[in-house]
Amino acid sequence: MSVTFRLNGQTTRFHDDPMTPLIDVLRREKFLTGAKPVCREGFCGACTVQVDGEAQMACLKPMGLLDGREVTTIEGLGNGREPLHPLQVAFAAADVVQCGMCFPGMVMALSAFVRDHPEADRTAIKTAMVGNICRCTGYERIIDAVVDHLKDGAAPKAELADV
Amino acid sequence: MSQSVERQFAVADSIDAALSARRSGAAVLAGGTWMMRDPRRGHDLPDAVVVLSGLSGMTDIAIDPDEVVVGASVTHEALADALRGSAGFEGVVVAAEGAANPAIRRVATVGGNLCTPDFSAADLVPAFLAYGAMVELATPERTLILNMAEFLKQRRELLRTAILTRIHLRRDVAASAHARLPLRKAGDYPVAIVSVAVDGEGAIRIAVGSVEEQARRWTSLENALTRLPGLPASPERAAELAREHMDFSGRDGVEAEGWYRCQVLPALVRRAFACLPKLETRA
Repeated sequence: MSVTFRLNGQTTRFHDDPMTPLIDVLRREKFLTGAKPVCREGFCGACTVQVDGEAQMACLKPMGLLDGREVTTIEGLGNGREPLHPLQVAFAAADVVQCGMCFPGMVMALSAFVRDHPEADRTAIKTAMVGNICRCTGYERIIDAVVDHLKDGAAPKAELADV
Repeated sequence: MSQSVERQFAVADSIDAALSARRSGAAVLAGGTWMMRDPRRGHDLPDAVVVLSGLSGMTDIAIDPDEVVVGASVTHEALADALRGSAGFEGVVVAAEGAANPAIRRVATVGGNLCTPDFSAADLVPAFLAYGAMVELATPERTLILNMAEFLKQRRELLRTAILTRIHLRRDVAASAHARLPLRKAGDYPVAIVSVAVDGEGAIRIAVGSVEEQARRWTSLENALTRLPGLPASPERAAELAREHMDFSGRDGVEAEGWYRCQVLPALVRRAFACLPKLETRA
C-alpha cells in the first residue's frame, strides 16, 4: 500500500505495511528521533505528534490511516535553526526540562492545547497533560511555565532562537 | 520494518463493501488504539483490515428532540463535546471525557469501544448500558437494532459478520452519572466503573464495568433502590445497599485482583449517586 502524507510541511510517501506504527516510520525511515517509543501502548505520551494539528500518539497510529493527512513532529515545530515555538521558549526560559525523554511529547501535546485554549487555567492544563508522563516528575514547573506563557500571551518567536 | 507487505488494508466506500470485507475475514480498524497494541499482547496484527471512517454518517452525531444518534466512528472527544451540557447525558459525557487520556480520546471511537469484547474496562459500555442505549448493526441481510444487554450477550457472534453503525440514545433519561476508579498501575484504565441513569419515570438503571469480564446491569441493586420511597436514594444509602447486594465475581488482572474490584464498588456507587443531578420529581 502506498500512503501519501505531509510530514513537517513536505509531501512524503510510504510504501510498506499499512499497519506500521507512525513512530517507527518517523524514527527508522525519516530519522526524526524526537518522538520516543516508550510504552507503545498510548499511556506515556512520549511519542506524541500532531496529526492535522491534533496531538495524537504515534505509537498507535497505523500508517494506513495517514493518507492525505498532515503530520507535525517536534522537529517540525522548531528545529533549533529557526525561531522556537513560543511554548518552547517559555520552557527554556523557565528551565523546566530535566532528562528530556518526555519533552518532545509534552511540547507537541501542550502546544496544540495552548493554541486551542488560550484562556486555560491550571486545572485545565493539568487535565490536558494527563497522557504525558514525566518520570522526573517535573510537572509543577511545566505547568508553571505554561501558565506564564498563557499569561504573557504569545512570546516573540525569536526571543530564544539560539537556545 | 514490515510484518507483511501483503497485508490487506481497505478503506470501505460503502457499508456493503465493509460487510463484504468482513465476510472475507478483514478486521474492522477504527481508531487503532486497541488493535495497534496486539503485538504487545503477543498477538499478530490482522492480515486484513477494513476502515469505516469514510462511510457516510459514521462520524455524525444527530441531536433531535427525542433521540440522539451517534455514528460508530465518532470519537470519544467528539461525543463528549457534542453532549456536554445536555440534561440526562451527564454520565455518558463523563465516560467519554474521562476514558484513557486526551490523545487517545481524539482517535478512539464509540464503535471501537463497544466492539472490543476483550476490553473489559471500556467506559462507554457501562455508560450506554445504564443509559438504555440501542445499538444499530448492519448485517448482510438487514439492519438490526438491539438493546445494549442483548448486544453484549451476542457480541462476539454478531460481530463475526455484522458491523456496528450507530448508537441510539433516546432522550427520556432525566439524570445520569459515571464513576470510575483508575489506578496508575492499570495505565489509564479504570479497575471498576459504576454508571447510573434515572429516567423520567424514576426508574434507576445501574451498570458495572471492568469488574467482571463483561459489563452488566446490577439488577439486584436496582430492585433494592426501586423499593425505597422518594427520589433516588442518598449516596450513603445507595452504598449500603450496594454492600448488601454484592453479587459480582471480580476478575483477577495484573492491575487489580478481583476482590479489590468488588470491594470498591460501594464507594463508586456512592460517588455516582453524589454526582447525579438533582431531580425535581419522581413518578
